[in-house]
Amino acid sequence: MSTAPSQLRKAVVNVVAFAVLGALVLGATWLYASQRVPPQPLEFNHYVHVQQLGLSCLYCHSNAPRGQSAGLPQVNRCIACHNQLEPKSPATRALQKYAENGEAIPWVPVAIQPDFVYFSHAPHVQRGISCQTCHGEVGQSTVAQPIKNQNMGWCLSCHKNMSTPERFVQLSSCEACHK
Amino acid sequence: MSREGLTRRDVLKLAGVGGAVAAVLSGCGPMAKYVRRRPYVEQPEYALPGKSVYFATTCRECPAGCGLVVRTVEGRAIKVEGNPNHPLNRGSTCARAQAALQGLYNPDRARGPKVRGGKAITWEEGIDAVARALQDTPPEGIVFLLGLAPDHLAELVYEITQALGAPPPIRFGALAMVEARQTLAAAAEAVFGQKAVPTFDIAKADLVISFGANFLETWLSPVAYAKAYGAMRQGHPGRRGVFVQIEPRMSMTGANADLWLPAKPGTEGLVALALGRLMAEVAGVEAPEPFAQVDPAQVAQAAEVPLEKLEKVARYAVQDVERVVALPGGVVLGYENGVEVAQAILALNGLLERLGKPSLVYFTPPAGGREPLAPATYKELMDLVDRMNAGQVKALFIHGVNPVYEFPKVLGFEEALLKVPLVISFASFDDETVPYAHYHLPDHTFLESWGYQRVQVGADREVLSGFQPVVVPVFDTRATADVLLAAVQKVGGALAEQVPYKNEVEFIQKQVAEFQKRNDGIYQAAHPKVFWALFLQHGGWWTQEATATPAQAQVPTVQVGEAKFDRGELHLVVFPHPILADGASANNPWLQETPDPTTTVMWNTWVEVHPETAAQMGLENDDLVLIDSPYGAIFASVYVYPGIRPDTIAIPMGQGHTALGRWAKNRGANPIDLLGFGVNGAGDAAFGQVRVTVRKMGRRQVLARKENTVGVYGDGRYQPVDKRKEEEEKVTSTQE
Repeated sequence: MSTAPSQLRKAVVNVVAFAVLGALVLGATWLYASQRVPPQPLEFNHYVHVQQLGLSCLYCHSNAPRGQSAGLPQVNRCIACHNQLEPKSPATRALQKYAENGEAIPWVPVAIQPDFVYFSHAPHVQRGISCQTCHGEVGQSTVAQPIKNQNMGWCLSCHKNMSTPERFVQLSSCEACHK
Repeated sequence: MSREGLTRRDVLKLAGVGGAVAAVLSGCGPMAKYVRRRPYVEQPEYALPGKSVYFATTCRECPAGCGLVVRTVEGRAIKVEGNPNHPLNRGSTCARAQAALQGLYNPDRARGPKVRGGKAITWEEGIDAVARALQDTPPEGIVFLLGLAPDHLAELVYEITQALGAPPPIRFGALAMVEARQTLAAAAEAVFGQKAVPTFDIAKADLVISFGANFLETWLSPVAYAKAYGAMRQGHPGRRGVFVQIEPRMSMTGANADLWLPAKPGTEGLVALALGRLMAEVAGVEAPEPFAQVDPAQVAQAAEVPLEKLEKVARYAVQDVERVVALPGGVVLGYENGVEVAQAILALNGLLERLGKPSLVYFTPPAGGREPLAPATYKELMDLVDRMNAGQVKALFIHGVNPVYEFPKVLGFEEALLKVPLVISFASFDDETVPYAHYHLPDHTFLESWGYQRVQVGADREVLSGFQPVVVPVFDTRATADVLLAAVQKVGGALAEQVPYKNEVEFIQKQVAEFQKRNDGIYQAAHPKVFWALFLQHGGWWTQEATATPAQAQVPTVQVGEAKFDRGELHLVVFPHPILADGASANNPWLQETPDPTTTVMWNTWVEVHPETAAQMGLENDDLVLIDSPYGAIFASVYVYPGIRPDTIAIPMGQGHTALGRWAKNRGANPIDLLGFGVNGAGDAAFGQVRVTVRKMGRRQVLARKENTVGVYGDGRYQPVDKRKEEEEKVTSTQE
């Protein structure tokens, strides 16, 4: 046979290879981008509030003892103190703007779990487990950062260490977290 | 394989790489994604993120006033269910209530106040316009045109018009037109001595004889009737109620009947009289006057109904069972002699009482002893159009009704609207009437609204069904009552003194406070605020015990006479769509997608034609036809339907919108356009007297049905007939 079909074949292979490579690059970029934490709407300083002012975590994340989600601070919670203070930093000025407009602050929660994990704060907090046990010393940091390796092994090791072998049967069953 | 093509190895490699890429791009991404969360600005005490909060409110998809419980999560309504304690619907809802969320979140809702032409204005400017209208217009030139719901707005507007010296508000709607409430009330006055719409206690009945009432679909209070129907069939162990439906076109209700008698249109009243005479004969008593005047054999012949069937029903009613009820509704009331026909049918109840049967008819006691404002008759509407044409109406306020769509074209409402110097629409959607309005000040949808509805039909006790907002308004809309009250305050003076409410809630609280004095309600409270909280928590107020008592029926003297019909080949039955009803919620895709229970048609208008008639005219399913009445013409696709008389065609209401939103617009046809001027003795529309001519257009417009989804999207595909023949031939040849 002539060479034409073989050239055509090469061309097809090249096109396909380029398409695949392009897709891989795009995919990798997207993956990288999606794993980066988007910027917070305002740079909330945990250190000032927790270490210097001595606020408890539950003052802002008030739903933790009674709900699934710990909750993010509402504007009126912030403004309860901040209406006494002159807004000096960009963050406090941003806060004042949200409060004036009656808008919710579009926080980006960083301590997140996938949709198939049913985590609830209430039973953990009610058992007396401190916030720092899982979230680390957020009070020492400024803007909250995600914590690495909060995975299934991490959950299970804690469940094992903190319970009796009998309790662990229940605490390690799949439906404890995956309903 | 040959070297020319891709080798097996190449294919495997590429498949591997491709699979990996696909996995990365689709599923194998990060498991947890960062999203922005918007916590409450001010978290209510009862709210806990992730936990549902339930609110009791009332449905406004139709005027019945069923109680609802709406589930909300973090300030968003996510599910509508029936209120299990509500005496009207007892936990049930219809499809329209279930779909109400799509009305709330509908992207085609009006998003803020506007002037004609679509220019946005502020609410201040809108309220100014209303205030100017109230102040500068001579009172007799102010007209409020309202729908049948909500009652609190009608009562507030009534107070405002009284204070101004303006005529009281006019309530109307297409659904009210085909329910002919005034006709029913007029007939009830003659038979039961009370001028109100009666409730028929079919739950207790052993035999229900319904003349055209589509009580399982849209009639008056469909959920209450559907529940009662279930109780009639299965609620009494050992005796299953029997149901006879007499109507020219088998409705969904008729399809549930044990016996469906398609009497010739216009003879239903005579059939009722004949049935009465047969019942008297079976009982061995002399037939009272109206029944004695007919000869059953002649009536059966004229109505084209087998005499033995009528005899069987009469025998069963008198000899075999104890509790029997006869009820009129639908097209039966839509003749020029509608009042007399209704009287003849209701008189059957009087006759049965004389034969020693208990009465199964009662009147729902109005909440707080106050009857809601009755809907206007068709005649009053014609008078309104005349006044508009004569330039006597200077300011027209429209709420809860879409006259350009819902009123028959022949009334000339559109032309008359152009002669009104100021039209203000409060519609929640950009409906057909909005382009005629100088100001469009959109109201909330009912899930964002305060209010109440005085239940008029279907409940056995006084029920004041309460509305409360289950979510904050989705768009920049404002409650019409608040707009009117703000305008009243702006006008000030004597008007503000006589209508002293600061806002809508204050007005409602004042009305609700009257029930605090009562000691027969489901709850009592000493403090008004506690009473108000209980009112909201329960979704209304009603009495602990059923208070309705059976109404005693008389047998009045009735001259049924003959029904008059327009010229034309076929009788026309225009019926409310079982799902879309009058079409006010036609921009709701869930409702559009819900198949009609009898034909399974979705998303379009069909015309039901008997197979014999279709064969005579050479019509098949999906053939486009022109339906021509003396008053208008529409196009629709044929649905060959054996459940209809050969001399009758039927078309559902609800479609044929030219506005309202993306899912309603330019879809199907509006059969209200075919209706004429005729009125009956009570002044209601004689919508049953229209006759039409059907003309084949020679092309198809495929209907979306459950077994055929071709026509779902867009308007259905047009196809010339010869192309379809080609296709058919192709199919036949393949089969060979």
